[in-house]
Amino acid sequence: MATHMEHSYAFFLGCIAPNRYPGCEASAIKTSAKLGIELLPLKGASCCPAPGAFGSIDLNVWYAMAARNLCLAEEMGKDIALICNGCYKSIWEVNHKLKHNDELRDGVNEVLAEIDMQYKGTINVWHLAELYYDDKICGVKKVADSVTRPLTGTKVAVHYGCHLMKPQKDRHFGDTENPMWLEELVGALGAEPVQYRNKMQCCGAGGGVRGYDLLHALDITNEKLINIKEAGADALTEVCPFCQLQFDRGQVEIAQNFGKKYNLPILHFNELLGLAQGMTPAELAIDLHAVDCTSFLEKIQ
Amino acid sequence: MVEKNYGNPELENKLRDRNYYVTDSNKDFSAEVKKLSGTISHMCYQCGTCTGSCPSAPRSSYRIRVFMRRAILGLEEEALSDPDLWLCTTCYSCSDRCPRDILPTDVIMAMRNLAFKTGHAVPKNFLQTVQLIYKTGHGVPNNDANRAVRERLGLPRDPPTTHTYPEYIPGIQKIIDHYNLKAEADRILSEE
Repeated sequence: MATHMEHSYAFFLGCIAPNRYPGCEASAIKTSAKLGIELLPLKGASCCPAPGAFGSIDLNVWYAMAARNLCLAEEMGKDIALICNGCYKSIWEVNHKLKHNDELRDGVNEVLAEIDMQYKGTINVWHLAELYYDDKICGVKKVADSVTRPLTGTKVAVHYGCHLMKPQKDRHFGDTENPMWLEELVGALGAEPVQYRNKMQCCGAGGGVRGYDLLHALDITNEKLINIKEAGADALTEVCPFCQLQFDRGQVEIAQNFGKKYNLPILHFNELLGLAQGMTPAELAIDLHAVDCTSFLEKIQ
Repeated sequence: MVEKNYGNPELENKLRDRNYYVTDSNKDFSAEVKKLSGTISHMCYQCGTCTGSCPSAPRSSYRIRVFMRRAILGLEEEALSDPDLWLCTTCYSCSDRCPRDILPTDVIMAMRNLAFKTGHAVPKNFLQTVQLIYKTGHGVPNNDANRAVRERLGLPRDPPTTHTYPEYIPGIQKIIDHYNLKAEADRILSEE
C-alpha cells in the first residue's frame, strides 16, 4: 500500500493555489516541513484537469490528462500530496479508477504511448489535510505541538467541500453527513471550531456552475455565509482553493449582486496553520485575499 | 422468481414485458449513459432523495430525479437539450444519500459528455477551459500580479508546472488532439 514510512511527496499544485492564492502553496510547503513532511516539485504537471469544467466535456480526455500527471509522479517514485479538493477528485479518483478498471487503463495507456508515457499504478494520492490527520504520518497531537501562536479566542467554521470525501462509497473518509476530523485539526491550533446549519453543503462553484451561471452559484454561497455568520464564526477555513475563491471573491460578487456584506475572512487550513505556527500575514499573502482578514488577525495578536 | 399464472393470455403477455414504452425513447441512450457513468442508473425507483439533497434544486427548475427518469426511459432529446443539465455543481450529496447506491452525479456527467458528442448546446465556459488548458496546461493560468506576489513569498515567479516547463505542453496537446477536443471546442466557439 502506501509509502507510509517515507514522508516525502510529489507536490501537485493544480491551478488556483499557485496562480490565484500563492499563500496556499507557500504555507503548505512551510507548515508541512515543520511536521516532517517534505513536498517536492512535480515538474511539468498541468491542470488536474478541472473535473467539472473539463470532465463534463469528455471523461476520456479527463482520464488521460490526469493519468499524465500521475505518470510524472510515478517517474519520481513518489506518492502525490495535494491541497485542493478539485485536484483530489481528478488525481485521486482517476488513479483509483485506473487501478481497478483494466479496460479504462488500457485505453489511457494507448493514448499515453503517443507521448512515450505509461500509467503503471505504482503510487497513491493524498490530500495534505488527511496526511496531517493521519497518526502514521503526522497526527493531531503533532500539529498541536507545532503551534507557537495559538489561535485562542477565535471561532472558526469548517467547510469540508465536496470532492475530498464524496462520493463516500468510493472514498475512505467515512461519514459525510457530519464529519468532525477537520474540527479536530482546527481545535489543535487553539481555535474553537463552530458548528453551523447544513455544514456539508457545497460552496456553489463546482461542476462548471460558477462559469455557467454565476448568480446561481453565488446564491448557494450566500446561503452558506448566512448559516456560518449565524453561528458566530470569526473566519471560515477550508481545504480547497476553489472553494476559497468562491467564498472569498464570491463575497465581493455577492455584495455587488445581492447587496449583502458578510466580511467573513476565508483561510485555507494551511494558511490557518501557518498563522498558528507563527508565519506573518505577509508571508502568507493574506493581504491578497478579497475579504480583509484584519478582524481575525487582530484577535490572534 | 414466483411464476404468476392467472390463465389470462393478455395479462400474462403484459406481465412478461418488462419495458416501458414512451414514443420518443431511445434504449441506446439508456445503455450509453449507464456505460459512460459507470453507475447502475437503471436501479432508480424515483424516490426523490437526490432532488431533496440537491443545492441547485431550491433555486432553479433543475431536478436530478427528472434526469434519472430520462436516463431510464431513454429520453435523449429531452435530457440533452435541457439547459438545467449544466446546473449540477457535482457535489455528490445525491450520490451519498441514494438508497439504491446509484451515483446520479455521474449520470449527469455522462449526459453532459453525450450532449457535447451529439452537438447539443454546451455552455461556453466549459469549452474555454479546454482552450486554456491546451494553450498553457492550466485551466486558470498565472498572471503578472500573481507573479509579483509569488516572488514576494519567496516562490518562483511561475510554479514548477507547465508554466516553468513549457516543453511538456506538446504532450498535453497530443492527448487533447487524440480526441479532437480542441478543434471541436474552437469550431463551436467560432460559430457562436
